[in-house]
Amino acid sequence: MSDLLQLVFSGLAQGAVYGLVALGFVAIFSVREMVNLAQGEYAALAGLSAITAVASGVPLLLAVLLVVPLVVLVSVLLERLFIAPVKHMTPLVSIILTLGISTALKAVMLLAWGPQARGLPAFPGRDLFVGGISIRSQELWILGVAAVVGAAVVWFYEHTLYGKALRACAEQPVAARLVGISPRTATMVAFAIAGFVGAVAGVVGSPIYFSSWEYGLTLGLKGFVAATLGGLVSLRVAMFGGLILGVLENLVAGYVDTGFRDAVAFLVLVLVLVVRPQGLVLKASGVRV
Amino acid sequence: MRRGALAAAAVVTGLSLALAGCAEEEPTPGAQDTGDGSGQTTGGEQDPVKMGVVLDITGAGASLGVPERNTIEMLAEQVNADGGIGGRELEVLIEDNQSTEDGAARAASKLIQSEEVDILLGASRTGPSLAMRPIAEQAQIPMISLAANQAIIDGSEWVFKTAQNDHVVIERIIDDMAAKGYQRIAIARDASGFGEGVAEAFAEIGADEGIEVVTTEKFAPDATDFTAQMVNIRDADADAVVIWGIPPAASLAQVAYRQLGIEAPVYQSHGIGNQVFLDTAGDAADGLLAPLGRMVVADQLPQDDPQKEVVTQFIEDYEAAYGETPSTFAGHAYDGFMIAVNAIEEVGTDPNDLRDAIENVTDWPGVSGVFTMTPEDHSGLTKEALVLVTVEDGAWQIADGAE
Repeated sequence: MSDLLQLVFSGLAQGAVYGLVALGFVAIFSVREMVNLAQGEYAALAGLSAITAVASGVPLLLAVLLVVPLVVLVSVLLERLFIAPVKHMTPLVSIILTLGISTALKAVMLLAWGPQARGLPAFPGRDLFVGGISIRSQELWILGVAAVVGAAVVWFYEHTLYGKALRACAEQPVAARLVGISPRTATMVAFAIAGFVGAVAGVVGSPIYFSSWEYGLTLGLKGFVAATLGGLVSLRVAMFGGLILGVLENLVAGYVDTGFRDAVAFLVLVLVLVVRPQGLVLKASGVRV
Repeated sequence: MRRGALAAAAVVTGLSLALAGCAEEEPTPGAQDTGDGSGQTTGGEQDPVKMGVVLDITGAGASLGVPERNTIEMLAEQVNADGGIGGRELEVLIEDNQSTEDGAARAASKLIQSEEVDILLGASRTGPSLAMRPIAEQAQIPMISLAANQAIIDGSEWVFKTAQNDHVVIERIIDDMAAKGYQRIAIARDASGFGEGVAEAFAEIGADEGIEVVTTEKFAPDATDFTAQMVNIRDADADAVVIWGIPPAASLAQVAYRQLGIEAPVYQSHGIGNQVFLDTAGDAADGLLAPLGRMVVADQLPQDDPQKEVVTQFIEDYEAAYGETPSTFAGHAYDGFMIAVNAIEEVGTDPNDLRDAIENVTDWPGVSGVFTMTPEDHSGLTKEALVLVTVEDGAWQIADGAE
């Protein structure tokens, strides 16, 4: 029993990181119908930058607070430089474009930080041992931060005028413009949010899962799978999808074979696309979010 | 529209995964280190000696491949500054196999066919080395691997290696376990070539001492979460646990192990002999035992140790060049490079002569141990090359009772 709980708990922590990355996919897709494959790279970039900052003597929490806005800035800059100039953005164009951006970012990270994986020091706190399961304080940090950030993003998109305006851009781009919503600003804001959640995922996850130049790809793909569970438009389902995926991976690794761990995500992806391409919650003709 | 978008997304995501899986074409500072060679090539009519090197510079083996590349670049510079090999300039061609088997095979073929190298070094890990072996054998070019698994050299005429055989390492660990009376052991091993056959070898070698392997868990070299494996290890309730991998995986496994509060002592392999392991495993590494080359405890070696001089000199040079302590993997690269250069100096670059010269290396003190190659043993190291070390306060210490 304690095995099951242990596997579920550490799966939840890993899943919360996937969930945060998944939020980034949804944040952008529900504003502009495009997939940003550089999403995982934000996490890697944030983790590596924070490690460098800490190594040069900046206190851990300050480093984290500096790095997150930096990555938001990078995300917005990328949008301004490479996404905004494209006149007719289709999902396919967006994928190829952002795949290119992702590859370029990886190359830059490889040159800047070298090929070795490293981890941030753990955030302050004491590790616990409760009822036979070991709980790292960092795992509690991940879950706590993911809950707060996830709730904030959901609240922003669903309960504020700004958030509703953002979603209107995807629903009815022309009508949104007619009532005075700027699609240009909306896309920028969406990229800022995507950069924010990606960076948060990167820094809270780094002490346990490490950061390296190539780590963004796997993380991005897992996050993408979680996002497809919500049809790429539901923030809540994307977050929960991440958690489910993390737990599922751990259970498969623990009870079946560790070799299948990374296959779980893609099995889920194939199943979702074949059986319910609109995601788990929407009807086929359903409205967004 | 949305359905189309989603399907397209899935297709291209799959594509990107496949791309990432087989070849990431980002150029690494691959360093065609030809040296400056100005005024060095006195024998003007002679071509340079060409050494092809294939290393795991990016990907899961990066913690091995990077110091190995550094070492070879540094040594090549030294050789050329001293006038090359027998008056011929040494040209070193370094390729990154991205820690993949197919990358290693491609790089080896390219070096042999297009560049016509005289000798091949690499790869850093077992899997890629095994992929290179048939290519070197078919071309009849001597190859010196820097990896551990005995399968790389077993029965080969052309392939040598400088890392301690994993069998030798396992014998060393079993000796210590037997001395301490451990009987039931659990193993968590790397799922790639480095860990292949390790559990079987422990069972086979341990049988004589009454040691039994009660459970074996695997982890991918690029895995990030080890809870599942360690939970199963904890349930095995073994007397001692072996973690067989390289950093960062070996570090993460070590951390997860301590995290679950498992009490049994941990043995790690010779795959952890670098600062990266100590940095990434942190406090969790304290108290583990690992059979490593003498280099990590160079400052604690007695003066009359045959390796003392070469190891100290190597560490000094490496620190001067790169400002960090070299790892044992850098040592494997030093040994491979020097064995190759010494052999070329002795007999030139005829492949058959070169092969014989390497096979005749006797009592040569290298960084990883004192080498004696024979036609039957292309690794040249016995378990005497290893010393059991432990970690105290983030530094390597010769373990009590060793030597």
